[in-house]
Amino acid sequence: MNPIPLVVAEMRRNPLGCTAVVALIALTTACGVVVSAQERALRAASTHAAERFDLIVGAAGSPTQLVLTTVYLQPAQLDLLRADTLRQLADEPGVKSLAPVALADSYRGYAVVGTTASFAGAPGLADGRIFNHPDEAVVGADAQLRLGETFHPIHGTAAENVIENHQHAYGLTVVGRLERSGTPWDHAILVPIEALWTMHGGDANSGRAPAIVVKPRTVADAYELRTKYRAGGTVALFPAEVLLPLYSLLGDVRAMLGGMAVAFEVLLIFAVLLVIVAVLAGRKHGIGVLRALGAPPAFVVSTVWLEGALLIGLGIATGTLLGVALLQGTSAYVSSRTGLSVGASLGAPEFGLLAALFVGGSLLAGLPSLPLLWKPIAGLLRS
Amino acid sequence: MLRDLHVEFADANRAPRIVLDIPALEIAGGGQLAICGPSGSGKTTLLNVLAGIEHPRRGMVRWGGVELGAIRPRAADRWRRETLGLVFQQFHLFPGLSALDNVLLPFRFDRFAIDSANRDRASDLLERVSVPATRRVERLSRGEMQRVAVARALVKAPAVVLADEPTASLDRDTGVVVADLLLRMCREQHATLVVVTHDATLADRFDRQFALATPRPWRTAANAPVMP
Repeated sequence: MNPIPLVVAEMRRNPLGCTAVVALIALTTACGVVVSAQERALRAASTHAAERFDLIVGAAGSPTQLVLTTVYLQPAQLDLLRADTLRQLADEPGVKSLAPVALADSYRGYAVVGTTASFAGAPGLADGRIFNHPDEAVVGADAQLRLGETFHPIHGTAAENVIENHQHAYGLTVVGRLERSGTPWDHAILVPIEALWTMHGGDANSGRAPAIVVKPRTVADAYELRTKYRAGGTVALFPAEVLLPLYSLLGDVRAMLGGMAVAFEVLLIFAVLLVIVAVLAGRKHGIGVLRALGAPPAFVVSTVWLEGALLIGLGIATGTLLGVALLQGTSAYVSSRTGLSVGASLGAPEFGLLAALFVGGSLLAGLPSLPLLWKPIAGLLRS
Repeated sequence: MLRDLHVEFADANRAPRIVLDIPALEIAGGGQLAICGPSGSGKTTLLNVLAGIEHPRRGMVRWGGVELGAIRPRAADRWRRETLGLVFQQFHLFPGLSALDNVLLPFRFDRFAIDSANRDRASDLLERVSVPATRRVERLSRGEMQRVAVARALVKAPAVVLADEPTASLDRDTGVVVADLLLRMCREQHATLVVVTHDATLADRFDRQFALATPRPWRTAANAPVMP
């Protein structure tokens, strides 16, 4: 049997209604897909950004703020570690390498971060060389400074500058540009930490930093160091300790949004079924004619089922494309807001949702026509 | 072929109203019969009973060896699509489909693809009834629509063609054309043709007529023969 020509004819008779149903399914599908994929991508990107930061040691205070400032360069006033903490850590046998990280100043909205040459140069150089003198700087991939440009950092962070505009006399020259790392550090200007020490209070603050990023030799060393530096006015933590609770919060929000999306989709499927029921009222007569002509029940049902399944399938397919397009936009937005490069794309969870929707919807699409198989034909012909 | 049509009694309604009370009616295979009577006399009900889409409370309809009341609904469906061609007063075509696709529709019940022989047959029939094959049926005139319906009824070369007031919703001249085609083409194909009509001029063109009496709504007598 071949109900396709009849289905096409029916859809041609009501192009506006069909378009509306497809558009409705497409929009909700797109929303559900975007929420799901965007959250996954954000989570992956923030984990990626934290990868280089095995263990962070800071002055006692908020662990969350320590991670946000050190890893994601969110400006905040952090207490400084004592200078001997840096020396003491450097002497630890379990420390493979370490780098003080200080976010203190800004220039044209870019964070000026003081650290070591090897930590700064870790993403690799796209152009120029790494700084090897206290009046040199390298810039992240997205910091719009030219090589050779000399600049004077402004005291305080970008947000504070609106109120207090106090330029340092100290000049730094850009000598290199880093490869893109997909993290907020792409928007930073990296300078030798000694430069910050010179700019900020000279000897009193020398050797002091708000945070030290430690690369331990082994996992055992990592836990040992973490325990040891959690006492005596310092705090030591793995970024994941802060990120996981955040993720679970993010995950809860996502689960709620995702749940709403699914509930919405289910409602939609029922709306589509209602549409089919309503459409069937107008097709009772045609179904009566088909049955009078001797059409087998499977043919009669498939003319209705195929139309429903086509509309649902078309809606889901359009919604998927729309979702992919929307993801470009939302990813760009989230990237610009967080400094993380969030390349969201559809993955297994989204395709699972789409498949479940299509299977569920199309299984149900034929149901409303079943009663018409038992109604007396003569009655259907009169309707 | 078919013979031995018996309609002894037919009552499609729940109420004890007698719609039809026909002791016997036989038609030879290949014959042409007009059933006539005023509106309300149960013509359409009788045709539905003959087509097996309405079932009498009592009595028997037999076409050849097939007794309609005794077979399962699925078998009745198959019997209709293999043996029967139907023409309705209101055409009952499917808008959105071309004339050709409407005529080909009965083939689609069984097969996915339509072979060229059947397609040619449908095209030939449309040529016979002078309707452009590719035009959508909703853009045809009423006379053309009914001619498409005649082509659809004949496309599977059915043994029996049943027509319910085939000319009633057409103007006189158009009705004559449709009646001509129906009679001539059924004769050519040796199909038994039964038409119900209140149109005396149409009925006169048949070699046999069978008249239903005026309705007798509330008489409940079990056995009140109206036909000689």
